[in-house]
Amino acid sequence: MKFIVASLLFLSAMLGNVFANEVNVFTSRHYESDIELYKKFTEQTGIKVNVISGEDGALQKRIKEEDKDSKADLYITADAGKLGTFEAEGLFQTGASSNLIKSVVPEQLRTEYWVGIAKRARVIFYDPSRTTPNPNLSYEDLSYPEFKGKIVIRQSNSVYNQSLVASLIENDGLEETKIWVKEFVKNFARPAKGNDRSQILAVAAGEADYAIANTYYIALMLSGEKGSEQEVAARKVKILFPNQKGRGTHMNISGAGILKHAPNKDNAVKLLEFLVTPEAQKHIVNNTFEYPIIDGVEPSPLISQFGLDFKQDLETNVSTFAKRQAEALRIMTEAGWN
Amino acid sequence: MTYVSNSLLILIGVMSLTFCLGVFAAYFVSFYEFPGVNFFKWALILSFAVPAYIYAYSLTAFFENYGSLHSLLSFLFGEQNYNPYIPKFDGLVGAILSMSFSLFGYVYVLTRASFYHQSHNLIEVSKNLGYSARESFLKIILPSARPAIVAGLALVAMECLADFGTVSFFGISTLTTGIYNSWISFDDLNTANQLSFILLIFIFVLFFVENHSRGDAKYHQPSQGFRQIPRIELTKNKGRLVSLFLSILFFLSFLFPFLQMSYWTIKFPKYFEQIDILALNLNTLTLVILASIALIGFSFLINFGNRISKSKLLDQLSLFSISGYAMPGIILAIAFMTFVSWTSDTLETFGIFGIKSVFIGSVLGLIFAYFIRFYSLAFNGIKSSYLKINQSIDESSYLLGYTKFRTFRKIHIPQLKDSIVLIGILIAIEIIKELPMTLILRPFNFDTFATKAHAYASQDLLEGAALPSLFLILWGGLLIFLTSKHILSEK
Repeated sequence: MKFIVASLLFLSAMLGNVFANEVNVFTSRHYESDIELYKKFTEQTGIKVNVISGEDGALQKRIKEEDKDSKADLYITADAGKLGTFEAEGLFQTGASSNLIKSVVPEQLRTEYWVGIAKRARVIFYDPSRTTPNPNLSYEDLSYPEFKGKIVIRQSNSVYNQSLVASLIENDGLEETKIWVKEFVKNFARPAKGNDRSQILAVAAGEADYAIANTYYIALMLSGEKGSEQEVAARKVKILFPNQKGRGTHMNISGAGILKHAPNKDNAVKLLEFLVTPEAQKHIVNNTFEYPIIDGVEPSPLISQFGLDFKQDLETNVSTFAKRQAEALRIMTEAGWN
Repeated sequence: MTYVSNSLLILIGVMSLTFCLGVFAAYFVSFYEFPGVNFFKWALILSFAVPAYIYAYSLTAFFENYGSLHSLLSFLFGEQNYNPYIPKFDGLVGAILSMSFSLFGYVYVLTRASFYHQSHNLIEVSKNLGYSARESFLKIILPSARPAIVAGLALVAMECLADFGTVSFFGISTLTTGIYNSWISFDDLNTANQLSFILLIFIFVLFFVENHSRGDAKYHQPSQGFRQIPRIELTKNKGRLVSLFLSILFFLSFLFPFLQMSYWTIKFPKYFEQIDILALNLNTLTLVILASIALIGFSFLINFGNRISKSKLLDQLSLFSISGYAMPGIILAIAFMTFVSWTSDTLETFGIFGIKSVFIGSVLGLIFAYFIRFYSLAFNGIKSSYLKINQSIDESSYLLGYTKFRTFRKIHIPQLKDSIVLIGILIAIEIIKELPMTLILRPFNFDTFATKAHAYASQDLLEGAALPSLFLILWGGLLIFLTSKHILSEK
């Protein structure tokens, strides 16, 4: 009996929230700094932001099962492929790209269903005291035998890798990329493992010559947030932006879309618009060290020191990642990329 | 099929390691006298407080390139690149080690209980036969403890198969992650079904083995002649060696993750400001209290029902209902959502709305999921204590004119008070450590130690995961400390 009473009390406490001025966010970006950003939003607008964080797959499943009873308004994730999958599954509604958003976010980085809120570059890391790579190196070049046993990268189940390979398929074709993956895997210095940061550390430690990882990880280490040893290690490493002679460096996005059954759609649009204001963008670039999605905001100095005038691949539409990811994963696993 | 082979490798690795560690540790503390034996006896079960995924965080933190070991070496011997000489415990090896050290306690506790009850005569017989210590261990002691060891290993194996936190942290594809991925990420029900089928076979076998061995493991205490075996004094050197072995085991299974997390908590104090520790404590406490009340209350009812009705069918049904424990939490949570969603949709055709919001994303829903997962723990615990109350006591109570309910209230509850506390605490430890179900089913803005640690770990800030992990270990450790007497003597 006590149990029932207690649960009912809880339930009513929970339900009490439903009618408040709020917006409910499902996010697979676990950054604590995002929560601080939402607090700023609440201060400015009085709209409370409720958050559940988790793995993409699980959150997606929950949204699907909750269906029209779902209280989730906004879905935020760190991969264009995931956003595209949500769109394809019919989980988003249109209207994410409001006029204000259209005026500041480049067209390739949004659709009617979702909007990029920050950019991320997947680059090559090397230790200049040991290696002097050709500055015009491309992702495609990394399959050459001269790189045998020299490259580290994380596993094929990482969406960052899936999106990278998806962009290769999009640009070079499936057959070509299949051959590329096969040769590329032979160049691994160790079986794929660990997260992006541990790839960079492997280069700093001399375990490999080249690491492929996202840029913000090095800034995280340089910021001292990971302790002084990692800061020292990160200083040994430089960034090479691939494909400068061609389409440019592979760019992915963090982004958000409004869910189909969002009970607070207006507030969700307000939050989205807030996320692309210069104020919010500054907060993002200085905490997660991603690249800003709008013009007029500089990346964190920890990132801009590696160069700002590199060519970003904004030709390959990020919305194609979703279509190619499954194919990408298949050819990666077939090639023995664990 | 890497799913199956990885799961098998983990099973084999973890079971061999937990067998060696658990059985030897139990053997030494049961039969020998050496420095620190009384300390090790309970200190070794502190490993229950460290979930395998936190062990995995600690291993990575310590051994990665430029990790804590590198810092330590630099501090001791000066700056240098020690990385190439530091072994890396990640991937399969890391997962096996993490699980082994956090799970060997099952084998240890059950084996020790069996040794403890082993008749003195048995040992005497082996002496009379002229067996050496090694021979009597291999030929007499080990075989007689077999059911307990098998039961312990079966529990370990179930936990291994159910693990999600550790293997996903190390990026290993196992049956459980395979089912999760094919079901959720790829919507590939075909593969999910095939993998589930294999997993179910595994679980079924283990479940059967465990239940069977548990039956065999009833300790046949002879009416006379049972007394606790006097421990054999070891020679000074041998005693030291055994102490050393157990110290290492204690260090690796508990102190190592505890110290690593403490070190980071101190080194990165900013997380004290960032993390609302009070809220984490309150949330965890709420879940623990509600789930314990529900689990213990219901197990009581069913056990009482079984006792007074003596129905075979009811017995069978309750056996079925306890199989939730063998089910991986992550799969259970997803199945739970699917089920609620289906029920809700069906009920809507009858004009009943809103079932989903009551059960998905609510504390109530979480309690339900915990209930399914941990019911066997509560049920079996109460059942075994109930069996110790002689039926004739009930009969005498009826003769005195007590009703069944009054018998329950006045006779059963007071007698079972101790075991209720024990079971409550065991449930608490499980819920504090629980990750995947809480992660998926929780309400907005609701974190426990486990989900908070996971959130930081997934954004590659294990430093931030340290504080919630440390709290998790401390709470678990405290609860284990409080119940160590019961855990060590009763099971």
